[in-house]
Amino acid sequence: MDTSLLPILLGLAVLLPLGSFWVILLAGNRLGKQAATVAVGAIVGAGVLSFWSLAIWLVHYYPTESGHGTEHHDGGLEHGHSDSDGHSPEPHALRSGHAPARAAADGVSGPDTLTADLTQLVSLATDDAHGVAGPSPAEPTDGESAPQEARGPPFAGDYYTLGLFGRMRLTIGYYIDTLTVLMFCMVTLIASCIHFYAIGYMHEELHDVTDHEVTLSSGRHLTRPGRFHRFFQYLSLFCFSMLGLVLAGNIAMVFVFWELVGICSYFLIGFYIERKSATNAANKAFIVNRVGDFGMIIGLMALWTGLGTFSFGSVDANSNGTIEADEQGMFELVRPGPDHHYRVPLGMALAESRKEVATLVQSWNAEAARSGKRLDKEELHQRLARHAEQAGWLEPQGDKAPRGYWWLIIGGVGIFCGCVGKSAQFPLHVWLPDAMEGPTPVSALVHSATMVAAGVYLVGRFYPMFTPEVLWVIAVVGCITLFMAATIAITATDIKRVLAYSTISQLGYMMLSLGVGGWAAGLMHLVTHAFFKSLLFMCSGSVIHAVHTNDMMEMGGLRKKMPYTAYTMLVGCLAIAGVSIPFVVGFSGYYSKDRILEQAFVFMQQNHSVWGALFFYAALGGAAITAFYMFRLWFLTFAGKPRNQHRYDHAHESPKVMYVPLIILAVFATGVAWKPFSWLPGSGLHLAALLEQARPAGVHGDLTGYWTRLVWPDEHFAHAPEQFYSVVVPVTLLATGTALSGISLAAVMYLWGWLSPGDVRRRFPRVYAFLWNKWYFDELYGFLFVRPTLGVARLVALFDRRWIDWVVDGCASLTRAFANAWEKIVDRGVVDGLANLFAGWVWSIGVWFHRLETGRLRQYVLYLIVGFLALFVLVSLFWSTTLAGGP
Amino acid sequence: MLAAIDLHGFLFVLFALTACVFAAGVLFSSNIVRMAFNLVLSLGSSAGLFFLAGAEFVGAMQLMIYVGGTLVLLVFGVMLTAQHRFLEMRTNAGEWVLSLLVGGALLMVLLQAAFSVSQWNTPYAQRDQVEIDESKSATPIAAALTGVRVDKLEETNPRLRAGKSGYLMPFVIVSMHLLVVLVGAAYLARPRMAVRQMRRGG
Amino acid sequence: MAGLLATITVSHYLAVGAFFFVTGVLCMATKRNALGVLMGIELVLNGANLNFIAFGSQYLREETLGLDGQLIALFVIILAAAEAAVALAIALSFYNAHSTIDVDQGDELKG
Repeated sequence: MDTSLLPILLGLAVLLPLGSFWVILLAGNRLGKQAATVAVGAIVGAGVLSFWSLAIWLVHYYPTESGHGTEHHDGGLEHGHSDSDGHSPEPHALRSGHAPARAAADGVSGPDTLTADLTQLVSLATDDAHGVAGPSPAEPTDGESAPQEARGPPFAGDYYTLGLFGRMRLTIGYYIDTLTVLMFCMVTLIASCIHFYAIGYMHEELHDVTDHEVTLSSGRHLTRPGRFHRFFQYLSLFCFSMLGLVLAGNIAMVFVFWELVGICSYFLIGFYIERKSATNAANKAFIVNRVGDFGMIIGLMALWTGLGTFSFGSVDANSNGTIEADEQGMFELVRPGPDHHYRVPLGMALAESRKEVATLVQSWNAEAARSGKRLDKEELHQRLARHAEQAGWLEPQGDKAPRGYWWLIIGGVGIFCGCVGKSAQFPLHVWLPDAMEGPTPVSALVHSATMVAAGVYLVGRFYPMFTPEVLWVIAVVGCITLFMAATIAITATDIKRVLAYSTISQLGYMMLSLGVGGWAAGLMHLVTHAFFKSLLFMCSGSVIHAVHTNDMMEMGGLRKKMPYTAYTMLVGCLAIAGVSIPFVVGFSGYYSKDRILEQAFVFMQQNHSVWGALFFYAALGGAAITAFYMFRLWFLTFAGKPRNQHRYDHAHESPKVMYVPLIILAVFATGVAWKPFSWLPGSGLHLAALLEQARPAGVHGDLTGYWTRLVWPDEHFAHAPEQFYSVVVPVTLLATGTALSGISLAAVMYLWGWLSPGDVRRRFPRVYAFLWNKWYFDELYGFLFVRPTLGVARLVALFDRRWIDWVVDGCASLTRAFANAWEKIVDRGVVDGLANLFAGWVWSIGVWFHRLETGRLRQYVLYLIVGFLALFVLVSLFWSTTLAGGP
Repeated sequence: MLAAIDLHGFLFVLFALTACVFAAGVLFSSNIVRMAFNLVLSLGSSAGLFFLAGAEFVGAMQLMIYVGGTLVLLVFGVMLTAQHRFLEMRTNAGEWVLSLLVGGALLMVLLQAAFSVSQWNTPYAQRDQVEIDESKSATPIAAALTGVRVDKLEETNPRLRAGKSGYLMPFVIVSMHLLVVLVGAAYLARPRMAVRQMRRGG
Repeated sequence: MAGLLATITVSHYLAVGAFFFVTGVLCMATKRNALGVLMGIELVLNGANLNFIAFGSQYLREETLGLDGQLIALFVIILAAAEAAVALAIALSFYNAHSTIDVDQGDELKG
């Protein structure tokens, strides 16, 4: 049970679904129902391996910190706030020399900041690059922060080196910390449930399917062979891509799996390929994601130019036990030890001062040439590094940012662009609601555990690389997204679309959280959301399966017909609304959403800026709206009277293979974030503490940028015991209040009917139309991008037809005329004439020789001899022979 | 004078003359039976030439297979087809003249070639020193046919030494060839009704 | 005469072989009897054999074909035997078909 097993186990977990994909691909339709067995076996196997890895991890690095809730007595890395009087803390500037105007005057980092950093450094140093050594012993430090959290080192390494390009190594690597392991467990668990569920949901595909949504030109509906195996084949590939993305040890590999996830979503959304809407949705998802990926490629190029590496962590590539300069990973380069403060890497500074570098190198070379030497690359590099250090290129110039800071921002925003596409953030969110065209298990998978999670995961993984300016962008995008999507969800009547907009909104929450510095909060919400959103989607799938419609207006009262679905979905709604008994216990959403709100609240407190208020109140309002539309959904679907008696009569509870996964997910949606009571053994084992272990080095402490005066507060600040009454209590009460008010409003309107939704609609027709049309985003994009593109395309087509076709046709007819003339003159006349001439000659020769063929044996013998003699004469006349060694 | 006459030379001239004379006899006799008789003598004489050249085994084979076997076969053929009108089939004089002209020219060319190469034409000075030992018997040939070349024991090329320089393979091929040929001959010679009916004028 | 006798060389054997060859060829060219043609073939083969023997003889030259010459001659003899058998079978077949042994009658391959 060594930690060196981790890469092997997780690597196997990645490869299992790939194997399943190949098996189903090669065996094809012959597998029949066994395709599901193969795929389920693979994903369950991957799940077992993931949980095994988690167990290994816990054996070696058992978390001791408890981050959130009422008991804050053993706060882990709560340094940076030596001043206990709630004084505005000193933000870590990007480099310690820089002191922003708002910074308090109480010196550099407090004393226990230093010690905490030092102990952490010691713990990092004792674990070597491969992590064979066990956890570092918790060193007692002075002051309040008693037990040093047992945080495992990130295991970074390479499975295989694809190629060496100069200094850059392109590898298949891994980067394993708690976040990786947690994501593995979460993805495989949810994916397993979805696989089981899909066996039931997709059973119609086992035989020929008549698709009632596709009408052929003959007026009949399309009948096609079932695609059961293909569905599971795609699911397996999807899981492989997602797991590979999570395991990836460098950003290039992430990009590869990123695109794989994209193509899988394309396959799955367009699963009903015969439906025009499905193909359109698949294309939309793919193209919109391309827009984001374009930004990501720009970011990749910027990072590579500046850093010369794609690797996240430092990998001891030549395994000599030390990390050399060219083996350092991105994180190490941008946040070098010992303080892990932001630092512009040398490469980026040099890249920005290209002209000076060019003159310097020229002068050095000239100087060396005078003394008859030659400077090799290494020497030049060292000189440049010294020069940059002396000239202060890496230091901020007064209030100006250090050189190369731009590159970091471009890189960060670029990477975030990719995440915007994948995680359906404003303005690239438009693909996700349309993606509901895929089968519901796909929706569940895409919108909970895999595709959209990938974006948030990458932001979390890439967190040490983001400058405050990038974080601001992330927060703004998340804020807009969460509010916009929540409002759209209010009016939607398609059950899956409500959930889709809810997903977008929740993803906005996560982005907002990450953007305001709530690293652990955002990722915790990613995990909890994955559980309850997959649960919600699968419940909606169960409902659709039963009533064969997506329209909530045709449902109602289904609670009696399908109790399992109804009550598991209720659990999901409660979880997403974040319902709780404050400070005691609550559904999983309560823990994660409250953490986000707390972080936003602290952000608002410490920045007396419009942004802080905007972020917090948007999140708070979003929470209320979330509760409202989720319960609107539940009431419309399950409560009240049936609005369509025919559909109601045919409704039935789904088979066991579908509702058992629902129950499992409901259990997780309830309790995944629970914290065992402090007197129980293993009280440290909970989601927040596990995530806390994975917190990247340097992602703690306050932060401020150069071009923004905002301060990003330390995430631990909100949970410090002394902040309990100033932060946690008000936020928790506010959040619970908003959730309850949203639920009660939904109940008033849709359960008890005291307020008629129709009246409200008529009262605010413009608002309703605005929301009903999804803020007119599709129309806007249609006007801005699609129609101009089509117009240009039409122009180009016109040009094609008018001019290019004319030229091509002209060339063609010219060629034809020439060919005709050529055939008449040259082919028929010259070529055929020559051929006929030769043929005639051969013919007459043959006729002449014909007379020699007497059929008489004896004459033939004479011919033979005469021929030999003739040959002999010829040879001796014209050939200087050297027969038998003669002269 | 007699002592000066080399025995080898003398025997060579003797056998060469008889062989040539009887070969000419084959050519010029018009009776098929006499032709066969002349052929026997001519081939026997050439066997003597083989002996003289040191190829005792081949000479013996010549006597046994040719004279003993092949010619008996020929005589059988003569007997099987020996109707009176076929015993002597004369060729007209024009054909004779033409053939002799062409044949004479061929003979001239061949003789010219035979005597034109100096290496072939110079007497072998060390002929008397050639030792006649037991390796000149049939043993080397038999060994060669089973794949071992006793006359090339000093061969240095390891690949040729490895038992591959013998004649086992050709020997086997020839054996199979003989077998197939005999079967084919039996097949060809069997009487066929269909062929009889195709007889010209029949 | 004695000088000639004392200096038997490869060329002399080749001359005898040439004579055999020409005689055989002329046999083929002049004999109308199929068996006569066959005898001509035997003579030709024997002439060729004489050449091989001569080139393989150790008494006549320093560098010889050695055993190769004798073995090739041997193979020729064997193949000649086979050829004789087949030729005889053809002759009999011919005789059966045409009731004659005159090769001039078999001119079906006339062009």
